[in-house]
Amino acid sequence: MGNKKSFWDKMDAFLMKDSAFIVLIMGAAAAIFAGTYMYINLGTGAFNDINIVAMLRDGLDGGDYAAAAGFAAGFLIARILEGPLVGLLDIGGSLQTGVGIGLPALFLSMGWNLPFANFFTALITGAILGLIIGAVIMFIRKVVPDGVAVGGTSVMMGAGNATGRYLAPLIIVAAAQYNVYTGIGAILGAAIFYKWGKEMTGGAILGAMILGGIFL
Amino acid sequence: MLEIIIYSAIIGIIGGGCIAAGAARMFHAPEIQSMGAFRTLGELNACNGDPIAHFSFGLGFFFSSAASAVAAGSLSQDVLHRIVPNWSAAALLVKNKKVEETLHNPRKMMVAGAIVGGVLVVFLNTLSSIIPEKLSLIASEVLTPATTWLLNPVMPAIFWLAAIDAGKSTGLWGSILGGISALVTGNAVPGIVLGILIGKSAEENGYKSKVVQILIAIVVVMFIAIAYFRGFFDQFML
Repeated sequence: MGNKKSFWDKMDAFLMKDSAFIVLIMGAAAAIFAGTYMYINLGTGAFNDINIVAMLRDGLDGGDYAAAAGFAAGFLIARILEGPLVGLLDIGGSLQTGVGIGLPALFLSMGWNLPFANFFTALITGAILGLIIGAVIMFIRKVVPDGVAVGGTSVMMGAGNATGRYLAPLIIVAAAQYNVYTGIGAILGAAIFYKWGKEMTGGAILGAMILGGIFL
Repeated sequence: MLEIIIYSAIIGIIGGGCIAAGAARMFHAPEIQSMGAFRTLGELNACNGDPIAHFSFGLGFFFSSAASAVAAGSLSQDVLHRIVPNWSAAALLVKNKKVEETLHNPRKMMVAGAIVGGVLVVFLNTLSSIIPEKLSLIASEVLTPATTWLLNPVMPAIFWLAAIDAGKSTGLWGSILGGISALVTGNAVPGIVLGILIGKSAEENGYKSKVVQILIAIVVVMFIAIAYFRGFFDQFML
């Protein structure tokens, strides 16, 4: 038992170190990148919101990845610069949007399909991206003096969050244009979810799917 | 189906464990580097070590994530951002109410996060993949026009207004780069995002700052490269 306890103690100590951060970000990036692999090949599993995944979808369907890559690159750069300065890396912008959407879009636009060859190449690619990001963050942490800040992330976040709010009305309009049943379903679903204090987006889609499923 | 379950389990265990451990490190930042989000930190603190509060907070996001997974196969950012940290915290706090020994301990959060993440991701992805084809067809027929409008012109407008409202320098950089981006890539959002980044950094640190100069250099090179590869310059050949 004594032996086991010292192992856990060592683990506790290790997980508070700088090197542990790099291991953790590698794992997180690998999982998120592999999630995008699943989304591309199996249709589910991307770790991001519908409106951001839609940009990648746009690229997959139309072959134009500029919107996804450019948008996500902005967040990735901002968060990597900000993360080490405040001691807290935002995983939403850096990993979920940057590694999960932006870099896959960049690779696919360059015609580099190797990361998406199978599940394990995706995991390994993600881990390597995590290693690079982790190393850059640790490097910035060491060299940048205190008091230098990268601005604008709060403005970007505010606009990003505002975007999500527009989706519910747009979905109701789209459902109404597609078919009368999906339209009624979307209206009812959104109204019920709004009343419950849940995201209207989910209610609108589920409502459209349920009534559409019954009557179409 | 088996493929989805195995992949989801691997992804959920690795991702959930690492992110929960990163979240536990947030309580020790900025002395050590952590990962998560300021809002997550605030929300974890707001639940005040009460397992039921942590669980129900996560549950609210669980329902919206499940809806999003079923509709579009996107699990939403909340799975890793909010549900995994809060449910891991809830699981640990049931046994031991002291947050210093549970929520703030990266090792314990890692183990709890791996379990929560594994179960959660498998559940959401299976749920999303077992829905009948007819329903997913309806979902995509409704979602495709909505997200197309969102990408263009709704998002450019939102980001553009946010840039203008954030001050003269972000407004100027955002407008110019947004316009160039619309010309070169067809969508203004990437340019506006980078414009906000440059404008705000310049406002806070001045144009003499290395960070600002490097940012401008990266953006200029990026746009020239994109323009070149997309054949933008060919349009000037008469």
